[in-house]
Amino acid sequence: MAERKIRVLLAKLGLDSHTVGVTVIAGALRDAGMEVIYTGLRQTPDMVVQAAIQEDADVIGISSLSGAQMQHIPKVLARLREESIDDKLVVVGGVIPDEDAEALQIEGVDKVFTMGARTGDIAVYIREWWEQQGR
Amino acid sequence: MKRAKPEPTPDNPENAAATRDAEEKRWRRDMLDPALAEQGERQEEFRTQQMHWPVKDLYTPKDLEEIGFDYMEDLGFPGEYPYTRGTNPAGYRQDLWKMLQVTGFGTANDSAERWSKMLEQGLNGFIIEYDLPTTNGYDSDHPLAEGEVARAGTAIDTLADMEQALDLPWDKLQHLNSVCNAPQPVNLAMILAALEKRGVEPASFTLQMSNAILIEYTCVGRYIYPPRHGLRIATDCIEYVIRNHPNWIPISVVSAQLYAARATPVQELAFGFSIAMEYLDATLARGFDVDEVAPYWSFITGLEMDFFEAIAKLRAYRKIWARLMKERYGAKKAESLRLRLMSSPGTTGLTLQQPLNNIARLGIQTLACALGGGAYAITTPLHDEAHALPSEEAVRVGIAVQNIVAHETGVADTVDPLAGSYLVESMTRRMEDEVFAEIAKVDALGGALAAIESGYFQKELARSQRARYSEIEDGTRKQVGVNHLVQPGEKRSIEMFKLGEEAERLQVKQLARVRADRDEDLVTKTLERVREAASGDENLVPPILEAVKAYATQGEICDVMRDVFGVYHPDSLTAGV
Repeated sequence: MAERKIRVLLAKLGLDSHTVGVTVIAGALRDAGMEVIYTGLRQTPDMVVQAAIQEDADVIGISSLSGAQMQHIPKVLARLREESIDDKLVVVGGVIPDEDAEALQIEGVDKVFTMGARTGDIAVYIREWWEQQGR
Repeated sequence: MKRAKPEPTPDNPENAAATRDAEEKRWRRDMLDPALAEQGERQEEFRTQQMHWPVKDLYTPKDLEEIGFDYMEDLGFPGEYPYTRGTNPAGYRQDLWKMLQVTGFGTANDSAERWSKMLEQGLNGFIIEYDLPTTNGYDSDHPLAEGEVARAGTAIDTLADMEQALDLPWDKLQHLNSVCNAPQPVNLAMILAALEKRGVEPASFTLQMSNAILIEYTCVGRYIYPPRHGLRIATDCIEYVIRNHPNWIPISVVSAQLYAARATPVQELAFGFSIAMEYLDATLARGFDVDEVAPYWSFITGLEMDFFEAIAKLRAYRKIWARLMKERYGAKKAESLRLRLMSSPGTTGLTLQQPLNNIARLGIQTLACALGGGAYAITTPLHDEAHALPSEEAVRVGIAVQNIVAHETGVADTVDPLAGSYLVESMTRRMEDEVFAEIAKVDALGGALAAIESGYFQKELARSQRARYSEIEDGTRKQVGVNHLVQPGEKRSIEMFKLGEEAERLQVKQLARVRADRDEDLVTKTLERVREAASGDENLVPPILEAVKAYATQGEICDVMRDVFGVYHPDSLTAGV
């Protein structure tokens, strides 16, 4: 059997509609051999968690550029814990001030990539996590 | 267009060209080649930043001869067809461009205060940006609005907010630009009703609405209804304004948004014009003649850092529009052929890293705007905009940059100063030819609406976005502070404009107060009228105006239309992701 591809759910929460970043990342992760599923715009934390379950995602990538990261992302993390699926890797990308990035990591986000991060580094980070899981 | 080879004249016999070409050969052999033998060129090849067109080492009159460049056909005189040299015969020698600035923060009261200050500081007008709940047609107390209220712009839930927002020194204001595409008829109605309440004569200034819903589907994402219904709503606004407020501008094709989504200049112009023609066809179907409506079409573009590409884009922009209107629509009036263009330095060229460098970028781009000529208004984004919302210091610097270009460089003192440049004219022509070729592709798909519904625009843009990022990542394209002259361990430190949760709380409270004070029966009755109009083909603006005056909220009015039109949720493929 062929090796299972890493499944990444890319999500946009709330009313943030900046999609250039998520488009570029989707392409880069596909090029790196991953399966990418995109939620589309205007998702609630619950919709994202439901999609992660339905799509059997290994990784949840949240793109945030509008400044409302602290409103939505902690709710996603809480819902993941409620569903006992907080073993998934959660990465965040976008315009995130340093203090918010720190706070999100304390809440349970595994890694925050701010603007200027290299797409290749994001793919490598996900791949290394995957290998550490022994999958 | 027929392009004849220039005829030899007594002063300019054909042998002059032969002598020149022989001289160039000699120069290459005796001068250039030995110099390059000593030290080669610093790059293997030179290409433009966006289009990746090869850039030659030298441009001469021969380049113009090869494309059959003809002064009268390609340029003509300023203020005349094909408007390549500008739409105003006197260029900037009468008036400089209008200096605008994008702004809009917090509650309506915060914004009015800030805008009044900017008008006092010497701006003629400004662009109102609304917060995301407003542009997405949600009230401030909607669950999706949480954390976004009054963050990226002004929050408008009801007429009460618009009345406050428009508390301005009206004697100083010439130009107001309102950006609220998906709920455009509601936004228009709010402005009309607020002007009436304030006793401001609508004809005393120009209201420009972007009304740019087709661009939202293509790349911005603040859409509500399926594209067909989006187009109908936009056309209702266009028709209403043309019939009732003939000095306003009811449609702007914001190709700057395409540019911000990393469209190449050719994509930007081709997609932008295709979209413009889709609105125009829809408006003509309402029983207008092309010369009655074409003068209302206006465009907003953004510029990249590649200086000559940017200038060629602005010049080609005017020429292509003139040709489309004349050749395709048979427009006759000069106002129909003359492009109304507002340009701005783009935020895409700005970097998060080393943000003060952005002031240099803004200066260079503003210079390109001025040299490209004919833009009747220029907006300057702010040097910290790549980072977050702009600070007050950045607003001051933005105004200063425009004044420096206007008063200290001399570029505004003669019309279209770069005309005749072998390089600029070659590039302008290439831009024109490639844009027409891309428009033909969109035509073959059935036009802009079909191209949006099938995801063509979205997929093409996604390709450009990925290409652009890989160029920066692999270093083919240098960006200072990003992949060149990077300071190791650089700490970003720039003042950021922040808004507390206080603004959101106040806004939600004001909304509750308005809801408590209004006549509910009247709200229900007027909303029912909106539903009837939406279900048929009656123009939506008048019934929405009645609902707004009854203090129905924007979310309530949009919900009625959501019921009738449905909500758009493109799949991953159509979204281009």
